[in-house]
Amino acid sequence: MVEISIFILLVFMIIGMVFVLEMKNLLSAVVMMGAIDFGLSVIFLLLSAPDLAIVQIAVAVISLVIMIRATIHREIVETPSQESTFSSRVVMLCFLFLFFILIYPAFSLLPIFGEPIFAESASSSMKYLLEGMTQTGSPNIVTAIVLDFRAYDTLGEAIVLFTSVLGAVSVLRYRNRKKPGSST
Amino acid sequence: MIYALCIVLFLLGLYGVLVKKNLIKIIISLAMMNNAINLFFILLAYRKNGVVPILSFLQPNANLYETAVDPLPQALVLTSVVIGLGVTALMVALAIRLYYVYGTFDITKMRKLRG
Amino acid sequence: MGLLPLFVAIPLFSALLLGFIEHKKGIMHTLVMLTTSALVILAFATPLQRGFYFVGGHHPFVGITLMLDPLNRLLLIVVQILVFVASWYSIGYMEQYTAKSRYFSFVFLMLAGMNGIVITADFFNLYVYMEIATIASYALVAYGGKAHELEASFKYLVLGSISSLFILLGIALIYSQTAALNMMVVAQRLDVTNPITWLIITVFAAGFGLKSALFPFHSWLPDAHSSAPAPVSAILSGVLIKVVGIYVLLRFFYNIIGVDQAPLTLIAWLGALSSLVGVLLAMGQHDFKRLLACHSVSQVGYIFIGIGLGTPLGLIGALLHIVNHSAFKSLLFLSAGSVEYATGERNFHSMGGLAKVMPWTNAASFIGFTSIGGVPPLNGFWSKLILIIACVSSGQWILGLIIVVVAIMTLTLFPKIQKYVFLGDLPSKFRNVKESPWSMILPMLVLCFFCIVLGALVVVPVLRETYFLPAVQALLSGKWLGVFQNAP
Repeated sequence: MVEISIFILLVFMIIGMVFVLEMKNLLSAVVMMGAIDFGLSVIFLLLSAPDLAIVQIAVAVISLVIMIRATIHREIVETPSQESTFSSRVVMLCFLFLFFILIYPAFSLLPIFGEPIFAESASSSMKYLLEGMTQTGSPNIVTAIVLDFRAYDTLGEAIVLFTSVLGAVSVLRYRNRKKPGSST
Repeated sequence: MIYALCIVLFLLGLYGVLVKKNLIKIIISLAMMNNAINLFFILLAYRKNGVVPILSFLQPNANLYETAVDPLPQALVLTSVVIGLGVTALMVALAIRLYYVYGTFDITKMRKLRG
Repeated sequence: MGLLPLFVAIPLFSALLLGFIEHKKGIMHTLVMLTTSALVILAFATPLQRGFYFVGGHHPFVGITLMLDPLNRLLLIVVQILVFVASWYSIGYMEQYTAKSRYFSFVFLMLAGMNGIVITADFFNLYVYMEIATIASYALVAYGGKAHELEASFKYLVLGSISSLFILLGIALIYSQTAALNMMVVAQRLDVTNPITWLIITVFAAGFGLKSALFPFHSWLPDAHSSAPAPVSAILSGVLIKVVGIYVLLRFFYNIIGVDQAPLTLIAWLGALSSLVGVLLAMGQHDFKRLLACHSVSQVGYIFIGIGLGTPLGLIGALLHIVNHSAFKSLLFLSAGSVEYATGERNFHSMGGLAKVMPWTNAASFIGFTSIGGVPPLNGFWSKLILIIACVSSGQWILGLIIVVVAIMTLTLFPKIQKYVFLGDLPSKFRNVKESPWSMILPMLVLCFFCIVLGALVVVPVLRETYFLPAVQALLSGKWLGVFQNAP
């Protein structure tokens, strides 16, 4: 049941992606991106990852706002001159299709969907599930990992966000050089 | 099969990045690639009929180590989703700045680079 | 081993602190110099043996492990020294830009990211810190805010993100096979005979190859590295591509999947191609910094040839070239920046005669050019010599020949620039040009010193035994087996 729902949602996301690629109006493309992000969030929920679904929705909303801020009041119609030539698109599609065919056999070597490898071996995930509660006091194992076992990653995540916001602020300062007339 | 669809989404994003000539389309395509990888990670973590890795009154008798899905990829993807947001924000800032300079999102009209 | 987290913590703390002292120049410069010099001292104070630090005291199976061994010790020292020199130089150079404190914040964030990559022993942690370093570098490339800089930054950002996503895909595949992220545990559990491993190798090689501008993926590097401010170009070309791309590939090939000749040979040939392509691209340039950036592609190619040979001698050559290239390429970027600072000009066909007005910059770039051209006593000679001997001794005559050809082309390329920029008649528009301030000349002289003495790293036995050979040994000891065997 879960599998079928995910299947349908994924097909919906892929169709949405094709629409994003082919739409002429950028604002519509951005809105479509928001729709795909929400679809992804639902898939996360189906895959028993509620924390992730919440974060995904929050991130989807923020990025939708940012993207709409970027496109609104601007020239938002993709003109034909912006498209690559037909032949280059076909070549790229063929190339990616070939790549897909080449790696297709690898999917059968991955663990079967629904039977992950962590359950069979002495893995760290088993350890988290067994002792996460007693060691950290958090009933939510994901939170226990994010904020205790792998808190160093979370520090890095916060710094990434800090860096990119600082970067955006730095990019958007319109006076970059002290000499008059030499900016932009 | 689901893995394959996930990779199709990834490759569609790659196609968009490599072929599209519009900054906004490129940004969206990259965000989709990121989504596809995140989804791939979570698909790998799923256990059939798996429960949420949370001890709660809703599932009081759950033996999480026997029934829960893998919590580690969820924690990792939590991080990578936020990183993706950061990259998107920086790219949008650059796109807005480039729009300010050129008056368009069209990269075929941006040719200040020699080469 | 308690020192290890400091390599990430100190630059992060300074980066945050810099935000509060935006308008107090004196305090800002003191803080920058204190931080970077403290890190240099710390890097030398690290122990020589392999050791681990467990973040939060967790067992390596459940927590994140940091690791120090002679290889990342060598890289840590190189990174700290180079960032120290570049920030010293920036104090004078960045006066022409606004928001100087934010610039130093980015440099420190990038430094924290690079240190985080070097000391980590965990795949996902590697990804996170790689993103910190590269996002800071995207922002720094766009720092000048001119149209071409913004474009270069966007291009770099797109290709960098694609490569990061490939790396993330590789990490997901590794996780699907081993249910572990710790590199040592992965090394034990990854089944090299499984075809999935080949997919992982391909994805990683593509991702890290893009990050380090290996041949089919080199197109972003000349734009990005030439558009950044000069000290940033020095850091990007000098250490970032090596830490983010080459170091991780070295670890992955030698310590995690174990040496396998087939992918390595491919890498050696791609390296040979990129060394040829890089030097040919460099020959067609008129822009001083762009030429240097193109030439970085060819030097990265050298390093990959050494890695791809897979013999001890090849690895010695590759590691030595990593160290040497960060010395002389940074020196050249800094002197190009000094010329640009004084004249506002980067096209070397419209320069000339600057030796009279800028004697120190002239001397520095002369040493840089002789070193990069491989003139005997200087450092560039030793690594090229070792690489050629390594090629010949492992029977790869053609690769050796390519190295020789590229070295000769390099040697003919740089006297030409020296002539265009510094010799000949001084154009009238440059009559009033002054030598750059001492805060920019002294860092260049430090790098000159390194260019002259770094050959000693292989020649003087004490240095060789303490710093260099253990690093090669760390790679040659093969797969990390039996390090953390028992689950807790």
